[in-house]
Amino acid sequence: MANVQGVAAQVNEAVAGRIGAGLRVASQGPPDTLRLVVAPEKLRSATEELLRLRARFLITVGIDTRPLTADYRVLYLFSLDAEHLFVVLECAADPDDPHVDSITSLVPGANWAERECRDAVGVTPDGHPDPRRLLLADDWPEGLFPLRRDFPYDYRPPAAGGVAPVPKQPPEGASVLPIGPFFPVLEEPSYWRLFVEGETVVGCDYRGFYNHRGIEKLGESVLTYNEIPYLAERICGICGFIHSTAYCQAVEKAAGIEVPRRARYIRSIMLELERVHSHLLWLGIAGHILGFDTVLMQTWRMREPVMWLAEEISGNRKTYGMNTIGGLRRDLPAAVVPKVLKVVDEVERESVAVRDAIVGDTTLLARTKNVGVLTGEWARQVCVVGPPARASGVPIDARLDHPYAAYDEVPPRLCTQQAGDTWSRLLVRVEELLDSIRQVREGLARLPDGEVLVEVVDEIPRDRIGISVVEAPRGEAVHFVMTGGDNRPYRWRVRAPTYPNLQAMPAMIDHAAIADFPITLGSLDPCFSCTERVEAIDVRTRTRRVYSHKELLAMSRDLTRRGGRR
Amino acid sequence: MLTAKLREALICFRAGRVTLPYPFAPHDPAPGFRGKITLDPDRCFGCGGCANVCPAGVIQVRDAGQLLRVLEFQWRRCTYCGRCEEVCPEQAITMSQQFETATDRGDDMVMRLEVFMGPCQRCGRCYTPPTPLDRMDRTGFRTSDGGRS
Repeated sequence: MANVQGVAAQVNEAVAGRIGAGLRVASQGPPDTLRLVVAPEKLRSATEELLRLRARFLITVGIDTRPLTADYRVLYLFSLDAEHLFVVLECAADPDDPHVDSITSLVPGANWAERECRDAVGVTPDGHPDPRRLLLADDWPEGLFPLRRDFPYDYRPPAAGGVAPVPKQPPEGASVLPIGPFFPVLEEPSYWRLFVEGETVVGCDYRGFYNHRGIEKLGESVLTYNEIPYLAERICGICGFIHSTAYCQAVEKAAGIEVPRRARYIRSIMLELERVHSHLLWLGIAGHILGFDTVLMQTWRMREPVMWLAEEISGNRKTYGMNTIGGLRRDLPAAVVPKVLKVVDEVERESVAVRDAIVGDTTLLARTKNVGVLTGEWARQVCVVGPPARASGVPIDARLDHPYAAYDEVPPRLCTQQAGDTWSRLLVRVEELLDSIRQVREGLARLPDGEVLVEVVDEIPRDRIGISVVEAPRGEAVHFVMTGGDNRPYRWRVRAPTYPNLQAMPAMIDHAAIADFPITLGSLDPCFSCTERVEAIDVRTRTRRVYSHKELLAMSRDLTRRGGRR
Repeated sequence: MLTAKLREALICFRAGRVTLPYPFAPHDPAPGFRGKITLDPDRCFGCGGCANVCPAGVIQVRDAGQLLRVLEFQWRRCTYCGRCEEVCPEQAITMSQQFETATDRGDDMVMRLEVFMGPCQRCGRCYTPPTPLDRMDRTGFRTSDGGRS
């Protein structure tokens, strides 16, 4: 920790040297977090300085602090991975006309984060290269910012018709191929417009956030500290434990709560079990996208005992409800340990068998090698995380860079590949799967005795910040908490791993074949919708008819009203 | 290529049939599974702790006059987190093993618990009498089988 203090001092000095009086306040809340308040006009210089120190951009957090400081605050979260330090650049924005300088030209990965901050809090990034709407629905009225403090959580703006996303213009001569918003191989809605020349993709446009549920607003206005973990674990149907752990850790860090060692070990074990079933699930879906359903059937069969195990440990196969601030609600019963070992032994034996079978499968190789290549350089630029980053040779892993739970005592092996293609991402995930099994075994062998929950007696102090990162199977999840007064966070910010990873898609499918698009997107393990119109051909009369958006909508609603009866 | 295909075939053959005969044969959840909440009306003394911690806001507490506290469980919103069970000082709420809760009637998803309270001598509002015997002394008390004392 002394080392971290030293690094923090060096970073502080370097930034102070670059922007001088522009650095207004430097403070350290939790020991691994350096908070630098900078003058708005010096934000870009400070960012440049951090990038020179090889800092990696995580996310921006826009906070409506008008009741506290009479202005808006935008926090830029960076991570110095090798030095195990988080750096927060904080800058104020005018309460009447909030603007900040855009840093997207310096950090391409900040693109979405800045647009989201504008949509949700209303702080406009000046000089942003693509200032279109990102987060809010197309019919959401202009000038309403849901994450402002004076905005009621249950407000519903009137629905508006005839709205559509603002499309990006395709390059000269290219045709547009819409994929989504609902697309068979992708489980969730996401709308891609591929610009194609023949079979070759020459660009793309993305519109997403169809599943935006306003979870952060709910956490800040309705729920209390101890109720949020149950909402956090419903952010994702696969990484539930990851989000609840990340949230609890952020609050624990902000409040200075020390979690018992046994609880930290059990958190680690549960996180690794989650990785085991998630990677098996991904392997199955990747196979399914490629039309190789044997892999899907077999990996999902292997995965099922892990789900049953989770049910036995936690009381539910997916929404575990185990995490709470200060530790865990349920201990790991001694009787379950031999069962866990038996299940992971079986999963290991079968995973090795599947791996050995598919590495020699030339069809699979032909569909994944040199497909969807992401270069290490671009992966760094757009701040890609998790297996896609490691498969491109970027050696980052939140478990090693910012150790949490019991990863300081049971560290993971860093699994990297250099090629950056879909095949490399597959290899990284298989290797991680086997390593997770090793960690589960080691964790169980070294599991200390004792309590799993420390009682939180004191009230959680106000205005403290806590940043917690957790390595989800898809990459690093970031949770930021600023504590508030009425037993709930003042601001809770979540960044899921797909958020930065999706931003790498345009580069990955550039000059790729259309047929490779689904697996390239699938290889990111993304968490994805709508025909604006359909052309129908009457098979008997061979006449054509084009339905408009409105007609289709009316037809669908009518069908729903009749309970699906045609 | 051929060996890869043979290996894959072998994995499939070894696996055999894995689907379960559910729902034609019962499939019991693991012990400790958190299913539908069950209430023990004799144990509840109306403290409302469960309503205080419920993240989904399933439990609504209101007082019907001076003697009756009504706890309404709109458990179609229940997320089965088990916080109510955890905080209940009298184990009046327990998570059952029941998971087959699908219904086409909304009323099936509402549970109503009426708890007999005592009026406060000063403010007149509902409060819990010092001992269970005290509340049996009050006029209007009903036992859980509907009898009156």
